[in-house]
Amino acid sequence: MLDTMREIETPEGVSLRLRAAGAFGRAQAWLLDFLLRALFFLVAMSICSAFGRGGAGLAALLLFALTWVYSVVCEVWFGGQTIGKRAVGLRVVCADGTPVTLIPSVVRNLLRVVDALPVLYGVGLVCTMIDPSARRIGDIVAGTLVIHADDLPAGSKVPIVPSQRLPVPLDPDEQAALIEFAERAAQLTLERQEELAHILEPLTRREGTAAVTQIAAYANGLLGRP
Amino acid sequence: MQLERIGVALRPRTAMEAMDLGSAMLRAHARPVWTAWFAFTLPIFLLCQLVAWFFGMPWLGLLLPWWLRPLFDRIPLYVLSRAVFERAPAWRETLKGQMRWPWARTVAMLTWLRVDTHRSLRMPMELLEGLSRSQRSARWRVLSRPLGGKAGGLTWMCLAFELVLFISICLFALWLLPGEVLPDSMRDLNQALTLPAFKHALVWIASGVAYLSMSVIEPLYVATGFALYLNRRTQLEAWDIDLTFRRLRERLLEAGVAGVLLVACLGWLPPSARAADTHPTPAEPATKVSIVQAFHQPVNDRDTVFASEAAYVYRDPAFGSEHKVSRWVPRSWFRPTSHPNGDASFLSAFFGNVASGVINVLAWGVLAVALVALVVFALRNLRVSVPKVERVMRKPTVLNTSTVHEEVIPADLAGAAGELWHNGRRREALALLYRGSMLRAAAALRMPAPVDATESDWLQYARSIEDSARRERLIAIVRTWQLAAYANRYPGDAEVAVLLSGWPAQQVAS
Repeated sequence: MLDTMREIETPEGVSLRLRAAGAFGRAQAWLLDFLLRALFFLVAMSICSAFGRGGAGLAALLLFALTWVYSVVCEVWFGGQTIGKRAVGLRVVCADGTPVTLIPSVVRNLLRVVDALPVLYGVGLVCTMIDPSARRIGDIVAGTLVIHADDLPAGSKVPIVPSQRLPVPLDPDEQAALIEFAERAAQLTLERQEELAHILEPLTRREGTAAVTQIAAYANGLLGRP
Repeated sequence: MQLERIGVALRPRTAMEAMDLGSAMLRAHARPVWTAWFAFTLPIFLLCQLVAWFFGMPWLGLLLPWWLRPLFDRIPLYVLSRAVFERAPAWRETLKGQMRWPWARTVAMLTWLRVDTHRSLRMPMELLEGLSRSQRSARWRVLSRPLGGKAGGLTWMCLAFELVLFISICLFALWLLPGEVLPDSMRDLNQALTLPAFKHALVWIASGVAYLSMSVIEPLYVATGFALYLNRRTQLEAWDIDLTFRRLRERLLEAGVAGVLLVACLGWLPPSARAADTHPTPAEPATKVSIVQAFHQPVNDRDTVFASEAAYVYRDPAFGSEHKVSRWVPRSWFRPTSHPNGDASFLSAFFGNVASGVINVLAWGVLAVALVALVVFALRNLRVSVPKVERVMRKPTVLNTSTVHEEVIPADLAGAAGELWHNGRRREALALLYRGSMLRAAAALRMPAPVDATESDWLQYARSIEDSARRERLIAIVRTWQLAAYANRYPGDAEVAVLLSGWPAQQVAS
């Protein structure tokens, strides 16, 4: 099964799902960051120019900080997100899903020098196309990963109908599918709802709209509603 | 379409994640996609270049492949749409399959829809669904409602990616030039740009590089658009739920309709009735069997699935193997060692520690004294004279080669070199001219002649000569000598005559 998910099982048997982010989102985030920093630097430089040579020195220091320190500070102390990544909904984590720490963050940002070769991240782009988790060279060396942090598109609430117990015990993923159906039924056409409900005819023993309501009733029961 | 055979994990995704799924699909089916891509597009690309050459308009070679992209896009889409539901076709199958796919929409995309930024999303809909005109627009409205902006953004981003690759390839090629010749090459480039043939050659090269970067990014563009389309349909038609429901239905039917029914009857009884129903009914054995069948896991204590999972986890080297870790720790005198027998053993261990420490110090001291004594004895009795190290940098000596002789440079350098040249000893003539010119240049620059200077060093020195005619001549001499020495290419008589005229070959009062 093809997927961009990276599943990590903790020793406690909990599986963490990291949704690795590819070149498109990352390029957008970088562009946003770049524009923001450029704007900030231009404003700061116009202020610094009032102070003559000392101001030029200050501007050079600021440029250094914006180039090398900004990403590290954002990643380590602001939840793995620079401003651009926050806007696009990305996050930097360690390869095992833990928050990124100082050394990996410094390494991955220093290796931007390699990824940015020869200009505008040409090497990094090709590298994200090749790597299964879409990591650039800096990520591979530092052992980090950029993941999607925003929530998945969710359906509406399960409509409230009098609940019913399931006639047979079901697996967790099957129960989840029942609830999901009840949540997302509003996004589907009526014909499609009935078509899907008809598949579960051995469970519901109903036809048409009654079958749809029946599944909603099971979902209510699974959610512990009366 | 058989949903059960889909090769992609179906789950709700954001549009951005769907795009990443596109690149994952492309990565998984890279070989069939790109072999078919090159088998189809490379002949067409070469044909475009031929047309451009025939009409004498090289820019056509750049424009035509760009214009034909909707045609090229059919190939990755065909491979990926087959690969997702069945298996990836080989390139021959892909090329044959193009005959069966509708062409009318591709013609539309090549003409009035060519600048449509939604092509990536429109193409899977039109080519895979094959709808009539009226259905198509309604379908497009439903499909593109939340995705129009994403598809447009995707087009612009892929354009940017292609540009990045194009510039990257060009820059990498430029980096292959040695830095020393770069200024000269740039000057030559300015002159060469005035030649129309050179300009044409540049356009040919540019179209080749553009084709290369298009070959990398265009399949990604198509795959990403296709993934957006798949995700939108998953969302509209709840494919993931459909798939789980189908599996559940199969399981229920396998478990047996009769058993399910009996369990169902049991489940529908009100709880009080079930509590009251204490005496065993004849149907009970049947229900027990069906519960076991309906469950995936055994209901007793020995959970075999868990046991096998645990065994699998323990096979991981992080759990199963032994590690030997050795490291340095600061030694503390008063660290309590393990003392299961109380204070007495603690004290004895403490004094033992102290005693062993003292003995350690003594032993090291004796060793140090013995070593010092040995050195002193050696210095006194053996009287080895320590040679004084000379701290003088050795000057590099001149190597004798076939062309460099230990002869003085004649005062009439031009005459001597000219004579050698006309006698047919061209290499020696140029060597003499080079050597003599460099010595005179060093004198003119008022610096000691460095014996280890290379030709490129001399080029550097020559640039600091102020008189431009002299500078150019000196550079020409170095270049001529390099060509003769390393490439065995000699200038004509006229060029040598130019080199021999004026400074530095002739003594000119400056």
